[in-house]
Amino acid sequence: MLRVEGLSVRYGPVDALRDVSFEARRGEVTTVLGANGAGKTTLLRALSGLVPTRAGTATFDGAAITDRGPETIARMGIAHVPEGRGVITELTVDENLRLGTFACLPRSERRHAIEEIYEYFPLLAGRRRRSASFLSGGERQMLAIGRALVSRPRLLLLDEPSLGLAPIVTAQIMATLRDLTSASGLGAVLVEQNARSALSIADWAVVLNLGRVVVADQPARLAADTDLRHHYLGF
Amino acid sequence: MQLFVNVLLSGVVQGMAFAVVALGLVLISRATGIVNFAQGAMGMFTTFIAFSLLTNGLGYWPAFAATLAIGFAFGAVVERTLIRPLQGKPALNSVIVTIGLLVVLEGLAGSIWGNVARGFPAAFSQRGLVIGTTRVAFSQFDVFIVCAVALLVAAVVALFRWTDLGLRMRAAAFSPEVSRLLGVRVGRLFTLGWALACAAGSLAGLIVAPLSSFSPYYMDLYLVYGFTAAVLGGLLSPAGAVVGGLATGLAIAFVGGYLGSDLQPIAALALLLLVLTLRPQGLFGTAEIRRV
Repeated sequence: MLRVEGLSVRYGPVDALRDVSFEARRGEVTTVLGANGAGKTTLLRALSGLVPTRAGTATFDGAAITDRGPETIARMGIAHVPEGRGVITELTVDENLRLGTFACLPRSERRHAIEEIYEYFPLLAGRRRRSASFLSGGERQMLAIGRALVSRPRLLLLDEPSLGLAPIVTAQIMATLRDLTSASGLGAVLVEQNARSALSIADWAVVLNLGRVVVADQPARLAADTDLRHHYLGF
Repeated sequence: MQLFVNVLLSGVVQGMAFAVVALGLVLISRATGIVNFAQGAMGMFTTFIAFSLLTNGLGYWPAFAATLAIGFAFGAVVERTLIRPLQGKPALNSVIVTIGLLVVLEGLAGSIWGNVARGFPAAFSQRGLVIGTTRVAFSQFDVFIVCAVALLVAAVVALFRWTDLGLRMRAAAFSPEVSRLLGVRVGRLFTLGWALACAAGSLAGLIVAPLSSFSPYYMDLYLVYGFTAAVLGGLLSPAGAVVGGLATGLAIAFVGGYLGSDLQPIAALALLLLVLTLRPQGLFGTAEIRRV
């Protein structure tokens, strides 16, 4: 559903991404791994239109999305959960979710879609009127994912959902992601530093180093390759 | 006693005028994170347009409505042509552009309409109302000022709080990038913020003009007081703008009434310094109020 070919991004004189190609499939989790500065976040930001690309193309279900602008790309059904979660702490939990419904859903379906998210994450339902600033890290991640899902996207881009979370919370988030994709045919691109837990749920893995794709393979094969793990994945 | 009541009443009226200037500053500061030094001058300029409409025979209320509409459009145009190109640059660049706009508008108004002080008509009688047997310093026009400003602020608060559009505007103000990722067309909302602010500026111009001598510079002092009010209210909260406006209005009315009107600008400056030193986030600068 997402096909990236020869994508390059430049920040001033620095090549942040060079000739990156990969594919993400419907109903699968594609994880993008690599050290700090490998270009993982830049890749997601380029896909959702936040940074301009220099060369290459990205197509989503056959339609070009390169440099279309984030508002348009979001309306095409790609939901990006940014690094640091992007929950708007000045708004309530319910307002954050409402915000997620505006782009893609007709007015009549919005409330229903929000209630579905509350059923899926009952913890959020109990805090719907509270300011999002009162949520814990794990709850904020749930809210960020819930806000992405409420628009009923076809592709989810997740930037380091495990950042700053306890291992058990990370495991819950990963399991949720696994369930969502297998059950509904949603595609997901998961950027992670925490390679071990990402590999445990992914269907396909891409490793970036200094802006280039080093290897792309089955997660199990990557996890079994000790050299590669030590070099690029840090475990 | 009579002095006290009159000072109190004139403080409230002045305060409402400051509040509407402050509201414009708040709307722009929320939308684009800058202080618009041309807020007063933009209102002045549209009020001069109203002056031309009135002298050419248009009735007061049609001219009033047209001026608010012109202010709305003017704000949108300024945002698109002067402020948008500076997006992503340091905020100081935009602030300096607004100072430039202030100078240009005052110069332009002077060369079109002349640098003379005139009178500007009020919507209603400016003679003090008679309560019992005494005439108080509170006229029909003052009642109109208080009601018009209160109505405008209530409408803005309701817009932000209870409508989808208002939610989008708040989200765009607090977190533009995340909002864009959610498909919110942030640029349009910034334009709308400027448009609303300048419509408020036009209202300020129309209600202040009959209170002072109407020249290209008549809004300058009100910008200073309005800025004091906005900072007092936390610069981000429309309701805070009203409270800040009333506080500023009452403070300078009492200073003027009991100590002498020469001290009024100094009192406003002292108030501003006091707030910036003791509570730089404003009286209402808590996370809860900032949500408004």
